[in-house]
Amino acid sequence: MITTRAARRRGLPQGLATLLLLAPALGVVLVLFGGGVVMGVLASLGYQPFLPGRDLSLDAYRGLLDDVEVRRSLVLTFRIALLSTLVSAVLAVGAALLLRGTRRGRRAALLVFQLNLPVPHLVGAAAMLLLLGQSGLVSRLLFAVGLVDAPAAAPVLTNDAVGWAIMAEYVWKEVPFIGVVVLAALSGGVSDLEDAARSLGAGAWSRFRFVVLPHITPAVVSTSIIVFAFTFGSYEVPLLLGQPFPATLPVVAYQAYSDTDLTARPRAMAIAVLITFLVVLVVLAYSVLTERVLRPAERRRVTGT
Amino acid sequence: MRSRALVLAGTVALALSACGGQDDTTTAEAPSPSAAATGGFEAVLAEAKGQTVNWYMYGGDDRLNAYVNGYVKTELAKAGVTLNQVKITDTAEAVNKVLGEKAAGKDADGSVDLIWINGENFATLKQADAVECGYLEDLPSTENVDLTKPGIATDFGLETEGCEVPWQQATSALVYDSTALDDADVASVESLFAWAKDNPGKLTYAAPPDFNGSMAVRTFFFDTAGGTDQFLGEFDQAKYDAAAPKLFERLNAVEPSLWRGGKTYPAAQTEVETLFANGEVDAYLTYGSSGIAALVDKGTLPKTTRSAVFQDGNIGNYSFTTIPSNAAHKAGAKVLANLLLSPAAALENAGPDGAGFTSAIDIAKLPADQRAQYEALGASPYQVPAAELAANTLPEVVSDYVTQLEKDWKANVLQQ
Repeated sequence: MITTRAARRRGLPQGLATLLLLAPALGVVLVLFGGGVVMGVLASLGYQPFLPGRDLSLDAYRGLLDDVEVRRSLVLTFRIALLSTLVSAVLAVGAALLLRGTRRGRRAALLVFQLNLPVPHLVGAAAMLLLLGQSGLVSRLLFAVGLVDAPAAAPVLTNDAVGWAIMAEYVWKEVPFIGVVVLAALSGGVSDLEDAARSLGAGAWSRFRFVVLPHITPAVVSTSIIVFAFTFGSYEVPLLLGQPFPATLPVVAYQAYSDTDLTARPRAMAIAVLITFLVVLVVLAYSVLTERVLRPAERRRVTGT
Repeated sequence: MRSRALVLAGTVALALSACGGQDDTTTAEAPSPSAAATGGFEAVLAEAKGQTVNWYMYGGDDRLNAYVNGYVKTELAKAGVTLNQVKITDTAEAVNKVLGEKAAGKDADGSVDLIWINGENFATLKQADAVECGYLEDLPSTENVDLTKPGIATDFGLETEGCEVPWQQATSALVYDSTALDDADVASVESLFAWAKDNPGKLTYAAPPDFNGSMAVRTFFFDTAGGTDQFLGEFDQAKYDAAAPKLFERLNAVEPSLWRGGKTYPAAQTEVETLFANGEVDAYLTYGSSGIAALVDKGTLPKTTRSAVFQDGNIGNYSFTTIPSNAAHKAGAKVLANLLLSPAAALENAGPDGAGFTSAIDIAKLPADQRAQYEALGASPYQVPAAELAANTLPEVVSDYVTQLEKDWKANVLQQ
């Protein structure tokens, strides 16, 4: 009894201290992000103080899924985000494994690998345009070596229906991001476990499948979730490299938001809320996944069962 | 997405040749003959001293930015007012900022003091009752403007009611490569489309609501419907419904002959201009034919670049500056709006060191010496002479037609 109370007495201020230490960060998230979400939801319901005499309603949401622009945009956005994330994750794991094996020139290789991390997406998108556009470097090279009759006859990779350039930009930017985190995960004692597995007769594939992969899975999944959420909600890259129709959801949302007719505003906000909702769903799915699937695997590995 | 309600570039062929002496009168404090107006404006000048004006404007025109941050900034400083140009890509951003601040209860001390604006964006601000009105006649520079002219008294059909200050005029033209098209091809929309069918992939226009793309669609609309006259005045749904389907039929018929087989359209006029500079397309419609000569001189565009207006006329409009009702520095903004409209600033702008825009000033109202300076500005072989640009200008129609066309174009052409 007394010990419990003493523990609680010691524990409470500690919890409070933690809370106080977190307060600045939490405050920023709650006020800036939470406040933004609340305002966005209100605006999607038609709350516009400068336009008096309008009631709140769900009209903006009702029309959303019947809207061919939003429907096709949803498919496109999902496809681009998913493909970019998968390709980035696979390439990043491959690159991390390769980099781990390098001895000579490892520092230089690492530097080159991480070089584009601080480059803004906007710059990457502009570079893709110069590289992959129909009058870009690639098409001019193809023309110069005689593979196409005119630079403009080169394959259409920018402002196209598939979104090749958009995905190329995301992959270019996100491979080092996932890769660096995977490299960090790989540095934590995994080689000892691999040696142990090797001494027990495990081949290269088995070592990868049963030792390395479980070790890096949490890192790959968590960074992939971040990449998916980012690419799903990113605006500037698809704006520069995509088509006016179908465009990705953030582009459609902004098109509606900058519509000069104020009555289009709730629709813009409804799309923005839809994006937020879908991304939150993905993150929730992730936390369930880590709880149910990944953690037991981790425990098994640690306890050796 | 780009700058829908803003005139990207003016017109003018006044721009080129380097004659015409520089006028160095301090225009911000130019005395007005009208005693009453002077009295009103003197108080404004006194109040404005020491203010910093945040002017939100489309920032994608390098020559205009140089003019604003050079000549305009220097002249404004002489009146004790500091200019802070805030570059935006779409005028709707400034409108959204004002509305956002008003929504947050900020009815004074707002961060936007002046906006370069016209058309739908002005209509939006006016709809939300967020513009300052009733100071227009106090500004001495309006002496030289015909305020009763339809394009100035109304902005895309909406009465301006003294809530915005005229600044420049923009007239559209077709820019083309003379090695690909001849005079007969650029005579009319009909001949241009016929040329496109024989030369697939070499013509395009930006997807509305891009400001220039929207103008292109209106140009085709008026051509299909047989002129603008029937669309002047209030929005008439019946007239629109009778004409619009024919337009979309015609545009869908020419679509396979457009750039990339018409499967997509450039999202912004800058993309169209890049396509032209790269030789991917051979012709495009623009409000900004004034910048062409400079681009040819720089080597960005080939020396075979030419401009033309269709024989049935070209769309033209005025752009304005307006002060949001919650602006923090209204007096400074008025001084700036007045300076922009002054004859000296207009001459500088139209001259070789300016952006090549035509002022909203009525040249006939100017004193003889200033008029002579204007007339001394020469023309260029790459651009349509100003007189020809203005000769057969079609007026803009109410913005309801514009927004309806943009919406229906999207549904009937882009999404088909």
